[in-house]
Amino acid sequence: MAGAIDSKMRPTVGVEREVVIRLRDLRKAFGTNKVLKGFDLDVHRGENVMVLGKSGSGKSVLIKCIVGLLRPDQGQVMVLGQDVYALGQDDLDHLRVRIGFLFQSSALYDSMTVRENLEFPLRRHWFAQSAEERDALVKEALENVGLEHTADLYPSELSGGMRRRIGLARTLILKPEIVLYDEPTTGLDPITGKEIVELILRLQKKYGTSSVIISHDLNVAKLAANRIAVLMDGRNYVEGSYDELRSMQDPVVQQFFIFM
Amino acid sequence: MVEEEGRIASNCNEVFVWPHCDLTFINSLSARKSYFLPMDRSDVMRGAKAIITEVGELVGFTGRFFREAFRSRFEWRELVRQCYLNGYRSLPLVAITAFIMGLVLTVQSRPTLARFGAETMLPAMVAISVVREIAPVITALICAGKIGSSIGAELGSMKVTEQIDAMEVSGTNPFKFLVVTRIWSTILMLPLLVILADAIAIWACFIGVNMKGAVTWQLFQQQVFDSLVFSDVLPALIKSIFFGLAIGVVGCYKGYNTEKGTEGVGRSAHSAVVVASLVIFILDLVAVQVTEIMGLN
Repeated sequence: MAGAIDSKMRPTVGVEREVVIRLRDLRKAFGTNKVLKGFDLDVHRGENVMVLGKSGSGKSVLIKCIVGLLRPDQGQVMVLGQDVYALGQDDLDHLRVRIGFLFQSSALYDSMTVRENLEFPLRRHWFAQSAEERDALVKEALENVGLEHTADLYPSELSGGMRRRIGLARTLILKPEIVLYDEPTTGLDPITGKEIVELILRLQKKYGTSSVIISHDLNVAKLAANRIAVLMDGRNYVEGSYDELRSMQDPVVQQFFIFM
Repeated sequence: MVEEEGRIASNCNEVFVWPHCDLTFINSLSARKSYFLPMDRSDVMRGAKAIITEVGELVGFTGRFFREAFRSRFEWRELVRQCYLNGYRSLPLVAITAFIMGLVLTVQSRPTLARFGAETMLPAMVAISVVREIAPVITALICAGKIGSSIGAELGSMKVTEQIDAMEVSGTNPFKFLVVTRIWSTILMLPLLVILADAIAIWACFIGVNMKGAVTWQLFQQQVFDSLVFSDVLPALIKSIFFGLAIGVVGCYKGYNTEKGTEGVGRSAHSAVVVASLVIFILDLVAVQVTEIMGLN
């Protein structure tokens, strides 16, 4: 199982299910620094795939390529059956509404209250919505993350864990089919990190989303991932479940388990 | 020269490099001398290329603003908020500066006019100076400092904390929401601030005239308005619209293209002020030439 995997050798788990994200031969370089050197990945509907890699290995670059924030130098990104880099701006915006993205820093809008942060995507995509409908959706989103009392607070008045929860609420308020998580537990204490992962799983079950989780945290992998892809040297080095990777003798894979 | 440069550098205590000025400053305590050394030719070429690239990008950014500015789905709420922040919140600073400017100009001009027996021309002279040149330029420079730096820092901070990316992935056009509204607000607010500065500076002139004389408000008003003509007011207001455009475009461009974390935010705020001020002076020079050609001076 060790070594770089070929597309044909990829495990057949979930082949019968719809592929919602398909990455083929993804390459991206910044100057002479080649970050992605032909990354392949399939994500099936309802699946939680975690991309595991060291800091600076290109995990965030990968996730930004999926949503069209960074244009790859080469390769194909198919999301929900559409080629992301063949779409015009309007079509890309429509596709993005079906994809949620939780940023590592939460990326809440500083100048807006929590309520305004949550209303921001609603106002721009569901134009016919009344104020009452918007209020109900905001209330539901805040109840989902257990922070109903924070609606009128500004992001600067929230703790790190609360910001992450509000970020998650904003990500899910448009009911996306796919959610991309960029380091969802980084910078949080283990207890809050576990709460965030449990929240992600609970909301995924409630809304039936597919997820790509970018992290170097194996606790997240253990709790949340159906499948783990190891990003090493710009390629999908190996894929498998947590237990499969744990039992591998490959030194490259084992180095991730050194503190487990 | 190369050897001398090497010797100085080896003994030096402080070396400052200004890549944009193509100069290196060496303060040598052991030699008790300070030197400005020019960079080599490749550095000069690199600097020139960087400036040309930046000007090109700035023009492209302005073009994108005009393309997006008239497209549907306008962010009215954000525009009103930006007008409040950039216009209303700048009122006190502009008002105080205009008052001092009008008063100082009156007090300092009086002795010269008195020497030629033309003291009665004081209101007219101050009014024309203020309306045609001083109020638009000073107000624009104040706004370049206050509004330009705040736009540069705010957008820069949003960029480095991924807030702009967050808007983009939510299917919203961040350029339309953040940039178009801010530039429109500076375009709309600058002429209004200039009109306010004109009024306050002329009122301060009235106070200055009465500090050493007694002129009624009615007579003062008559002297001011008799001296002012349409071609004094209109070019100044048109000029201030372009100043507003320059402040908005430069502030947004610098903020929107911020890189290198918090250090980059500071650099964006600072360079927004420097570049906007420079563009204001260049536009002012162009405006003078245009009004001269059109026979409005």
